[in-house]
Amino acid sequence: MKKIVIDPITRIEGHLRAEIEIDENNIVQEAYISGQLFRGIETILKNRDPRDAGLLAGRICGVCTNSHFRAAITAVEDAYALELPKNAQIIRDLISLALFLQDHVVHFYHLHLLDYVDVTDALEADPKQTSKLGHQFSERPYANSHAHYISVKEKLQKFVKAGKLGLFANGYWGHKAYKLSPEENLLLLSHYLEALKFQTNISQAIAIFGGKTPHPQTIVVGGITSVADMLNPQRLNDFIFIMKEAKAFIDRAYLPDMKLLVRGYKEEIKQGLGKGAGNFLSVGGYQFDKNHRLFEPGVIFGGDFTAIHPFDARQITENVERAWYDGDDICYTDLNPDGTLKTAGNRDKYSWIKAPRYAQKSMECGPLARILVSYYQGNELIKPFVDSFLKETDLTMEDLHTTIGRNAARAIETAYIAEYLFRFINTLVENIKYYDTATWKQYQFDTLPGESGGKAFLEVPRGVLSHFVEIKNQKIDKYQVIAPTTWNASPKDSSGQRGAYEEALIGLTLQDSQKPLEVLRVLHAFDPCIACAVHVIDAKGKEVGKFKIEQNCLL
Amino acid sequence: MKIVIIGGGIAGTYLANGIKKNIPDTDVQILSDEAYMPYDRIHLCRLVNDSEMIEDISLTLESSVKINLNQKVTKIDPKAKKVITQSSAFDYDKLIIATGSVPKTLFDTSGIKNAATFRSADDTQKIKEGIKGKEAVIVGAGPIALELLDTLNLMSTIQKITLLVRSRSLYDKTLSPQSINIIESTYLKSGKVRISYEDEIIDKTIHNDEITQIITKKLKIENPFLIFGIGIQPNIDFARDSLECNRGVLTNPKMQTSDTDIYAVGEAAEIKETGFIAGHVKECTLQAEVAIANILGIEERVFKQEISIDMLKVGEFDLVDVKAPAFCQKYEKILMTSDQDQRVDEYYICDDKLTRFVGINSNIDIGYLEKLMKEKEPIDASYLYQNRLHSERGRLICSCEHVYQKDLEEMVKENAISNFQELAAFTQAGRVCGRCKKMVEDVIEASQVLIDPNKPKKSATDIQREKELALVKKRIEKFNRLHPQNQLDSENLSSAMDAFEIGTKELNSWLAMVTATMQLHPEFASLIKEGVSMLNRIPIIWLELADCSGNSEAFIKSAHPAIEDLIFEYISLDYHELLMSAAGEQSESALEHTIRTQKGNYILIVEGAVPLGMEGKFLRIGTKGETGISLLRKCAKDAAMVISVGSCAFDGGVVAAAPNPTGAVGAAEALGQKDIINLPGCPVNPINIVGTLLSYLMFDELPSLDQYNRPLWAYEGRIHDNCERRGHYELGEFVKAWGDEGAKKGWCLFEMGCKGPYANANCPTMKFNLNTSWPVQAGHGCMGCVEKGFFDKLANERKIREEKL
Ligand SMILES: Cc1cc2nc3c(=O)[nH]c(=O)nc-3n(C[C@H](O)[C@H](O)[C@H](O)COP(=O)(O)OP(=O)(O)OC[C@H]3O[C@@H](n4cnc5c(N)ncnc54)[C@H](O)[C@@H]3O)c2cc1C
Ligand code: SF4
Ligand code: SF4
Repeated sequence: MKKIVIDPITRIEGHLRAEIEIDENNIVQEAYISGQLFRGIETILKNRDPRDAGLLAGRICGVCTNSHFRAAITAVEDAYALELPKNAQIIRDLISLALFLQDHVVHFYHLHLLDYVDVTDALEADPKQTSKLGHQFSERPYANSHAHYISVKEKLQKFVKAGKLGLFANGYWGHKAYKLSPEENLLLLSHYLEALKFQTNISQAIAIFGGKTPHPQTIVVGGITSVADMLNPQRLNDFIFIMKEAKAFIDRAYLPDMKLLVRGYKEEIKQGLGKGAGNFLSVGGYQFDKNHRLFEPGVIFGGDFTAIHPFDARQITENVERAWYDGDDICYTDLNPDGTLKTAGNRDKYSWIKAPRYAQKSMECGPLARILVSYYQGNELIKPFVDSFLKETDLTMEDLHTTIGRNAARAIETAYIAEYLFRFINTLVENIKYYDTATWKQYQFDTLPGESGGKAFLEVPRGVLSHFVEIKNQKIDKYQVIAPTTWNASPKDSSGQRGAYEEALIGLTLQDSQKPLEVLRVLHAFDPCIACAVHVIDAKGKEVGKFKIEQNCLL
Repeated sequence: MKIVIIGGGIAGTYLANGIKKNIPDTDVQILSDEAYMPYDRIHLCRLVNDSEMIEDISLTLESSVKINLNQKVTKIDPKAKKVITQSSAFDYDKLIIATGSVPKTLFDTSGIKNAATFRSADDTQKIKEGIKGKEAVIVGAGPIALELLDTLNLMSTIQKITLLVRSRSLYDKTLSPQSINIIESTYLKSGKVRISYEDEIIDKTIHNDEITQIITKKLKIENPFLIFGIGIQPNIDFARDSLECNRGVLTNPKMQTSDTDIYAVGEAAEIKETGFIAGHVKECTLQAEVAIANILGIEERVFKQEISIDMLKVGEFDLVDVKAPAFCQKYEKILMTSDQDQRVDEYYICDDKLTRFVGINSNIDIGYLEKLMKEKEPIDASYLYQNRLHSERGRLICSCEHVYQKDLEEMVKENAISNFQELAAFTQAGRVCGRCKKMVEDVIEASQVLIDPNKPKKSATDIQREKELALVKKRIEKFNRLHPQNQLDSENLSSAMDAFEIGTKELNSWLAMVTATMQLHPEFASLIKEGVSMLNRIPIIWLELADCSGNSEAFIKSAHPAIEDLIFEYISLDYHELLMSAAGEQSESALEHTIRTQKGNYILIVEGAVPLGMEGKFLRIGTKGETGISLLRKCAKDAAMVISVGSCAFDGGVVAAAPNPTGAVGAAEALGQKDIINLPGCPVNPINIVGTLLSYLMFDELPSLDQYNRPLWAYEGRIHDNCERRGHYELGEFVKAWGDEGAKKGWCLFEMGCKGPYANANCPTMKFNLNTSWPVQAGHGCMGCVEKGFFDKLANERKIREEKL
């Protein structure tokens, strides 16, 4: 048995480490996923005015920017039982959905693509053939001219010739696990560049209602503040225009590219690489009229898609046996002297991420979970998107439950959102037309209950986000966050059950144990976000700030 | 820092001004044993013949320098860091000795009315008053003696002068008889002067503190006035007990003495390695510059002896003396003389190389000689012969600045200079030792006819800017050579621009915007463009510590017309966890590689707070589990510059908000470094990062910073003062509840807790996401995220007054 340590895992948010154990055939036998940064945002939230929770909690993450901001304020609103004006809800949804599009595109092209595309190999591509290739996956392929590919190729050539690729440096170029043809590589890389522009433009749309991004600043307890922008037809038009352009890129580049990727790595899919325990969690949401919402709530256990269980928040528990906590306290047991995780004993602690469990099961959330749950719950809107993708790529629902399938689910979801986002805008325009311009639910803060509790469950790009707040004497008394990555990147629990990342790594074969590209693929497919994931359990009023490293806190 | 300078002569004054120029609020004190404000002793002759007053030859001294006159230093106490004078004591952090030299005499002249030296204003007073009706006797024939001789020779009040010369030569022992003849004959013309060679004083009679008679080997002189010009020696007796001394106070090439807090410059200093002691203004000021650079920690500089050019312009002859540091007494000479022109060229040669040149009424191109000496080229006698009569650059006017007649004429013509004041923007000619000022003025006047009257005249600021532009250009070029692993050419940028479909117009408007934002003149736009194309030459390490990646995201997501994106892709981020394709050991080795090979060249950008609690173990990075603080230290150690981006790296931001559970601080505090540039904001506006990188690249210096080390160009303006809703504030039109009528109309958000009045940044003008919006425009108001501790003080939606209740 050999141990491989990968740290830092790059092209993700935050400080993530993976340690895997492989046998003599380079097959992964065990995996340990560890969050390596602790900030204690919940502790910082304590004793503050509940209305300030949003601005502060928003800083949990600059990548899932806005998600925590919104969740915090929603939890406080829940505590005060404030009902939002419709338009405030829509504006919040528009910001969130635009972020789905941005996040997913950035994830695929800028954070994940190089796991599948060999930059150096793209230099061999024939631009003409590349252009032809483009037509195989789309009727109107995006920026697909012969000349365009020549110029992209030239640009890459210069980067490579320089011998130093800046950010492209030190990749695993030439690795045997790269399977695409030079033309396929070139085509995808050309969209890498286009996607930079895409995300710049779409962030503009977010800023129209959010003031800025990352870290929008327009959500307040009871509503939103960008009412002047909402009422300005020019602003609304700008938003629509950018969204239309974004939709064009998604339909003509992102979705076709995913089909290409599926074709190139069909074998890996059919082998079931990256399959996990099959427990999926979705809380659903994004209602845009009386009868329609984008995602359905529900739970799947053990890969049995036929039985969707209703989601019940009371089933959520947290386990910290293998995380650096002891009950409510911090209990850092350090690393081994050589810098590796302490994992020798069955109860050794190795991560700042807690292990949330649903009905005692380790869960996976995110695009795949949403697609599966919504599809099998009979959401009519999502069905055609899923069906046509599967048909064109010759995949089954089962195949989506793989590493590449997770990416495919993300792309399907993106195209789906890009289509239905316009329905939200329509509703907004209708409301304004009929003089419904309210964006804030009036309340007198002093008259609100001094003591209360609230929670928020939101679907955000990476999965299920929940915030819990308890208020005492008009101050935050307890705060707790379970983020998507807390679920997915969780460590083992007391029963030895692995987290979703860990589970997906088991059984993976590495071509070259020095260059664990396959491990990166599995992890990146989840789109990890570690700043989000690490959360302390409420410290129950004990003194914080003076933590000692203890060899064995309670064990 | 308290800096004390002993000696208010040329070196001391230059030093004091230089320090003030670099760091204006340094406490600088000069202790001078003279009774006058600093003056330029090379013009002392003008005091002797009353052509000028001491005010006319005064040196400019920065007004905030404290000067203590009549304070003769008697002792230094390096342990207590004190300087003791006859009447008081002064504390210092850094001490500089600039006490120059004392002239040698043959006997103690103090108290004797008619014997003097020639070094100070007091000396000239004594000479002037005592010499009337007496025979002037100058002992010695070096440059200063000859200069004085010339002055006295022209004074009608003096009838008789004797020059006592121990050797057979004038000016310098090595001079040829031909040269000596020419010099001698010019002096003898007046009939007042006699020169007695191979002679010296052997006896004297003193009566009532007055020398009534001297007897020399050859002469007997009654009623003389004796002036010694026989050499000088460093004036450092007060330092002998406390510092290592030889002839002068010994220093290393950084001008630092045996005590690290004490420096010595000018004629008082002796460089230990070479035994060199300055004897000219130029060397003194050079040493002063070296000392300034080292004391203020601007850069490590060492003094290197340069070729010296001396001139003696006495009445009817010009003497030029060019001497290389390598000059030694074992020379051979090539002599070219012309009786007809009264001209002598003397070439001193050691090992085939020219090491010195002395010319009397010579016309040779000094520039060429200098080049020969500097490059140690073998001498080409036939060339020298052929070119003996003309110098392409004409006559040497200013020996300090090596400016020739033709250079000056060209300058006057090109820049339409009409007087001496205007010349200052182009050259220091006539200003260093000031000896040639008159000649410079004459050339300017004579050259006025060359000026094209239609040529637009440049203002002093135009000229200043042109100079700056040239400097910046040079610096940018320097980066061509910097990042050997990343030699993408600038074409790469243009093809990248194409890939992004960035048009020239778009680029130009971006450049104009950045130029304006950085508060530079529009002319800088083209240099900014060049700077951008060079940005990939600076190796950059972007370290994410206890952060949310918000600033990285801001940089890649919310850029102005894709250009900043592009820059981000294009500049060589050698290490950036969020974006780089390498992971684990591969990425670590990229980091190590940059640190090792780019020592002192790379820029470190820090994002996120530094948790110090629990020995820093709240954050660990890399396969070895290095703590955040230790990684930060490792990266910062050899960085050329450290930039903190975002509020967390500034002061710990949200992570350090109460109760600061992980003991987080900002990068500057974690490193204990005061020279870190802070770009706070949550997140920072990417334009401010690009601007800071560009300004480093263009100006090689920290931009002007405020008290929190935030660049003034980005963080000087108050949000409230530049806010688009300010008009409503003035009219008392306030939003009173979210979404009310005022909110719909865009009224002022002060009542809703806008912190614009308490925050300083360029948000209102730069906005975010392609100028789309900013928190005030979006109806929320500012939360002061660029200010210290804003999460505990400002990040809420209530007025500050209410908060306190
Ligand atoms: C007449 C004359 C003509 C010259 N012409 C030229 C020329 O044409 N070109 C050229 O390059 N150089 C020329 N020089 C030489 C040049 O002036 C010197 O090289 C230069 O002044 C040396 O500068 P310094 O600061 O080292 O010393 P100084 O200028 O001598 O300054 C030293 C100062 O320290 C003061 N001091 C000394 N001891 C103490 C103490 N214990 N406490 C307090 N104060 C003290 C002195 O009073 C003096 O004010 C000339 C010199 C003279 C005298
Ligand atoms: S300053 Fe704000 S954007 Fe930056 S790392 Fe901290 S929380 Fe994130
Ligand atoms: S909105 Fe804020 S920054 Fe603008 S004028 Fe009002 S108080 Fe000042």
